[in-house]
Amino acid sequence: MSTDSVGIHTDSVPGVGPQPALSAELWQAFLAGDRRVCARLISKVENDPRSVPAIRERFAGRLGQAIRIGVTGPPGVGKSTLCSVIALGLAERQHRVGVIAVDPSSPFTGGAFMGDRVRMERFVGDDRIFMRSLASREGRGGLSPATPYVADVIEAFGMDRILIETVGVGQAELDVLNCADLVVLVLQPSTGDAIQSLKAGIMEAADLIVVNKSDLPGADTVLQSLRFVYSLGGAKARKAPPLLATSAQQTEGLDELVDTIERLATSLVESGRHRELRQARLVDEIRRGIQQELWERFLSQTEAESAIQKVAADLAESGGMAYDFVRAACSQVELRVREKRD
Amino acid sequence: MSEHPIKVVVGKPGLDGHDRGAKVVARALVEAGMEVVYLGLRQTPESIVAAALEEDADVIGLSVLSGAHMTHFTRVRALMEENGLGDRLLTGGGIIPTKDQETLSKLGVGKLFGPGDDPNAIVGYIHEWMATHPRGDV
Repeated sequence: MSTDSVGIHTDSVPGVGPQPALSAELWQAFLAGDRRVCARLISKVENDPRSVPAIRERFAGRLGQAIRIGVTGPPGVGKSTLCSVIALGLAERQHRVGVIAVDPSSPFTGGAFMGDRVRMERFVGDDRIFMRSLASREGRGGLSPATPYVADVIEAFGMDRILIETVGVGQAELDVLNCADLVVLVLQPSTGDAIQSLKAGIMEAADLIVVNKSDLPGADTVLQSLRFVYSLGGAKARKAPPLLATSAQQTEGLDELVDTIERLATSLVESGRHRELRQARLVDEIRRGIQQELWERFLSQTEAESAIQKVAADLAESGGMAYDFVRAACSQVELRVREKRD
Repeated sequence: MSEHPIKVVVGKPGLDGHDRGAKVVARALVEAGMEVVYLGLRQTPESIVAAALEEDADVIGLSVLSGAHMTHFTRVRALMEENGLGDRLLTGGGIIPTKDQETLSKLGVGKLFGPGDDPNAIVGYIHEWMATHPRGDV
């Protein structure tokens, strides 16, 4: 059996494509806290989606306790700097902290310049914190598609607070909602008036809003317009999130920030909301898993791929619609299933 | 060649505030489709290797213009071996005399570049090195 440098089996299983499994030595090293193995596993789930099931199956019983905290907001407001502060603050409160920082991949070259470590250099050599930069790759909603799996690896590694910093986002990049238990929205002065705060999207998703760089002029205006918007309430409106002003540079409001996050984390668990969120995510995962699996079986049992190409070519020519073909293809699968059963 | 983007950690060890070269090279690597984790100024060999370990970097690139290249490259290379990163490429650039480059090469340091070199030569070198030094299946 061939293995790579840290012992991940690389032999492919005949028939079902490569399904790398974890060797016992590797798993033991991971459990013993070998950071290199953790880093390698993260690369595995990031680079090879086919390896994800075999790796995640090993995590059974080790996931579900950590609080995943998304940190999002426009570019340059201080997300990385605040993440650094939050991570250290949580570590001082006896937590083991994972940090996942996502920076954008170029849609043109595929390359990425990831600068979050420049603001997070105080972590280095700190065993309580594991930090990883991710390029967003195909992700267009503020995160890399592998982010939830990377968080799983880090949680299984023993971290109980996981910060997920998104790329600098605009108004509606909401990937973070699907993988974070709490969302911290970071803003800064001069990012717009009350009209901006009234818009749908990320403003509605935040569990905590932080106006950073509060030493700059205009901080009060931002705070006031946010208070105004949340005071409007509304039938479906969520409770107004806590609103904090911080200045990372002047080290103001930082203890309160970490305390507030911890308070929200505690009430998340005590209210049962944390479990609900996990359950909802599992429902989603099961649905997507079934879709994916059925699709793959459908492709393997039929000549679907070539038929799809041909029908699409015809429809493009004739201007027709695809619904008839879709219905016919699905009933064909149904027939096959029935034939097998009888 | 690897299917996933090559991951490179770029940093400047020691007391050396001239980071334009490192930024230009980082930019060229990104343009070539690599994922660059930029560490910035005043790093220590320890902080650079610790970052490369957590990032599972394929390549470490150091920029040294301070004259302390022998110390820094040697120390980083030793720490890489110590931390199980001996199979990764250590390369870089700065003001590094040819005879020093030869000495470092014997210690396992890759090719080093200097003023006037085309950034694309670095890109080409990394691609070539990666193609001839497979790191397993990922």
